[in-house]
Amino acid sequence: MERFKSKRVHIILEKDGMKVLMLGWEFPPYFAGGAGIVCYELTKEMVKMDDVDMTYVMPFGPEEVLEQHLRVLIANNFKGKKIKFKRIPSLLGAYTSQKEYSQTKRLIDQKRAKMGIDNTTSLYGENLLEEVYNFAERVNTIVDDESFDVVHAHDWTTFPAAIRASEEMKKPLIVHMHITEFDKSGGNGADPHIYSIEKEGMEKADKIIAISEKVKDGLVKNYGIDPAKIEIVYHAKIDLGPDKNLDFPKFKDKNKVILYAGRMTLQKGPDYFIEAAKKVTNFYKNVIFIMAGSGDQMNAMIERTAQLGISDKFLFHGFYTRDEANQFFNLADVFVMPSVSEPFGLVPFEAMGKNTPTIISKQSGASEILSNVLKVDFWDTDRMADQIVSVLRHKELSGTMKKEGKSEVEKLTWDKPARRCVDIYKDLIGKK
Amino acid sequence: MVSLCFYFQVHQPYRIRKYSVFDIGNKKDYFEDRSGTKLDNKWIVDKVAGKCYLPTNAVLLELLKKHPEFKISFSLSGVFLEQLEEFAPDVLKSFQDLVETGQVEILSETYYHSLSFLYDKEEFRAQVELHRDLVKRLFGAQPTVFRNTELIYNNELAGEIEAMGYKGVIAEGADHLLGWRSPNFLYKPVGTERIKVLLKNYKLSDDVAFRFSNRGWKDWPLTVPKYVQWLNSINGSGEVINLFMDYETFGEHQWEDTGIFEFLRHLPEEFLKHPDNNFKTPSEVVDAYPTRGEYDAHSFISWADLERDLSAWKGNEIQDAAMDRIYDIGERVKLTGNDKLIHRWRKLQTSDHFYYMCTKWFSDGDVHKYFNPYESPYEAFIAYMNVLQDLEMEVNDILKERGFVKDGILVEPRINL
Repeated sequence: MERFKSKRVHIILEKDGMKVLMLGWEFPPYFAGGAGIVCYELTKEMVKMDDVDMTYVMPFGPEEVLEQHLRVLIANNFKGKKIKFKRIPSLLGAYTSQKEYSQTKRLIDQKRAKMGIDNTTSLYGENLLEEVYNFAERVNTIVDDESFDVVHAHDWTTFPAAIRASEEMKKPLIVHMHITEFDKSGGNGADPHIYSIEKEGMEKADKIIAISEKVKDGLVKNYGIDPAKIEIVYHAKIDLGPDKNLDFPKFKDKNKVILYAGRMTLQKGPDYFIEAAKKVTNFYKNVIFIMAGSGDQMNAMIERTAQLGISDKFLFHGFYTRDEANQFFNLADVFVMPSVSEPFGLVPFEAMGKNTPTIISKQSGASEILSNVLKVDFWDTDRMADQIVSVLRHKELSGTMKKEGKSEVEKLTWDKPARRCVDIYKDLIGKK
Repeated sequence: MVSLCFYFQVHQPYRIRKYSVFDIGNKKDYFEDRSGTKLDNKWIVDKVAGKCYLPTNAVLLELLKKHPEFKISFSLSGVFLEQLEEFAPDVLKSFQDLVETGQVEILSETYYHSLSFLYDKEEFRAQVELHRDLVKRLFGAQPTVFRNTELIYNNELAGEIEAMGYKGVIAEGADHLLGWRSPNFLYKPVGTERIKVLLKNYKLSDDVAFRFSNRGWKDWPLTVPKYVQWLNSINGSGEVINLFMDYETFGEHQWEDTGIFEFLRHLPEEFLKHPDNNFKTPSEVVDAYPTRGEYDAHSFISWADLERDLSAWKGNEIQDAAMDRIYDIGERVKLTGNDKLIHRWRKLQTSDHFYYMCTKWFSDGDVHKYFNPYESPYEAFIAYMNVLQDLEMEVNDILKERGFVKDGILVEPRINL
């Protein structure tokens, strides 16, 4: 706790404004999913608005990542901006499961032991839930000293902290739903404890922000939430930044390239991509399918391509960096996001921003707002193959989709969702 | 003296079903979606018949019988009439009943509601001829006034139509061409001798067609006396008021509960109260009034959108690619001498197919006002190009068999077709 206290000298009190306490669990470049990027983009725009004074509280990640994380945060992106960071030691991560948490903790404890640090004083709780409550405890020490006008919390790990802070200060609570335990588990074997934290957070919240109609429907259906309490605030574009390396591999000369980019888990539908790929090869011999991203389905997918006799047309890349993502999108003649279930899905924005014709499943939240893409039911691999072949076959189609797609995402800027959030704050502050 | 001239456009395309790459070479059922959704042509004809064609025809028949002075005109596309013969003979009969009163004029257009004038003049004349044959057969009518698809018009079209023997042609009364002048007179198209052009009064037409049910409009609700007062005010400053609109205005665009049928039912009586007013069909207008100036449409105009140009059907890459390809294969298609195949090729020329590929509203994110039975312009393009691929393969096979094509190159036919 000593360490934590010492950091607090960095807090600068700013002129009076709407004081927002935002609780999240990740922030770029340390992130596991899209929610961290969303927090980054949202807050960046929100602090530009005159009356917003933002304090972002997040748990620590493992120390090695943390140092890098801090340097980037403070040095580059938020210099001179009215945003302050408070860091609380924790092992929370976006997609952390109980099991993963324990593994990570064991690794860190081992490392610390090697370095001669006494683990009996470990700051980390024994399991994820305990960590969630630890986080709540520490956030509470902040609101002991300082008051805020509104509390805005991202996903369940921050809810116990957010509920406590909001009750302590008697200030409105907004919970922001990016994904639910129900979505993650596909409805089967949802952790009852997590489920109840989510439900409590939403019930106690004054307003719920859902990132898509799809998420909203799930909250109403699976959590019994009053739809009138839910507002949809869609994400905006993700810019991958300038291209660093555009040397194309040799196979690009003779082949059309079809790209899958995302985690290799069943939820993302890699198996449907492969079934569609098989059908595409009936029309095109010179095609290469790139599957970028790691995940528990990787080996199964490699095996499936072999079974179908098309493994010579597949490249599995595994985990990829942002620079590599740039390269992939530039290389690809078409990008496919075949997700079985996707609360939103930011990757199509990245692809379209790089002029890549894009096909997305109708089961993604992004399909609710994107127009200049082709949409397909994830299970309809005939249709998916038809769309892929059509994009490859007609340069006018890919040309129009590139042009219109790029100009569509250019218009989807973060100031709009940021403004929506600020308006929600104002509305609630006025009411309480 | 002021004449009111009604022309109603009645058209339905043969929409292409979701025809995939897997269907190419296997299936010829291009237009046979039977899903009971918005690509199902029979379903649409049935739906619109119930909401618009049958009830509106009933109101009009009653009016025509009640007021022998009441006159109207229709332009019915060939592909529409063909669908009526196939799906809804009772609806066809109800149109025939109207024409039988002798107070209804049928206008001439291209059978396939196509943009052929822009691409292939010979094909254009052939389609006009086919439409003439059809309306002769179904209505015993011989049109003397022509209207082109979507009122697409320029000086050259007027000249072409005059050469084909028509005495009148219909066009949009575009502000940028009229300037300070009024659409309520006949004009002489630049470069022609005798033909007269009837210009749509878009303000008064759109009051009914678009604004009738708009509660945000300052003149809502539009009552018959109010509207007739506007019409009467033209008396003395114009000779003819051309009210041109889609027939689906009645019951389909403006639903029955907006009062549109009651409006129609009482309009003639109210209008005829003024002794100087009368109704005329387009050909009667042409006979009755002289031209009062020249109408100079150097570039193409249409009745679509605010732009009044061709950008709803051509201009983006996918529209142009599709359009170029359908006309490119024309020569080969005709060479097959296979009437069914030629008919299928021509059904693919209907303007709606290209309208569905338009991206100009789509990109603004305003998907709702975008009327499209496909999920996106891209889906429309995919289905269209897949069908075209199938058609072209069929054509090439036939030509190869007959020795017209060698090594993929068309050779001169040696027999006289």
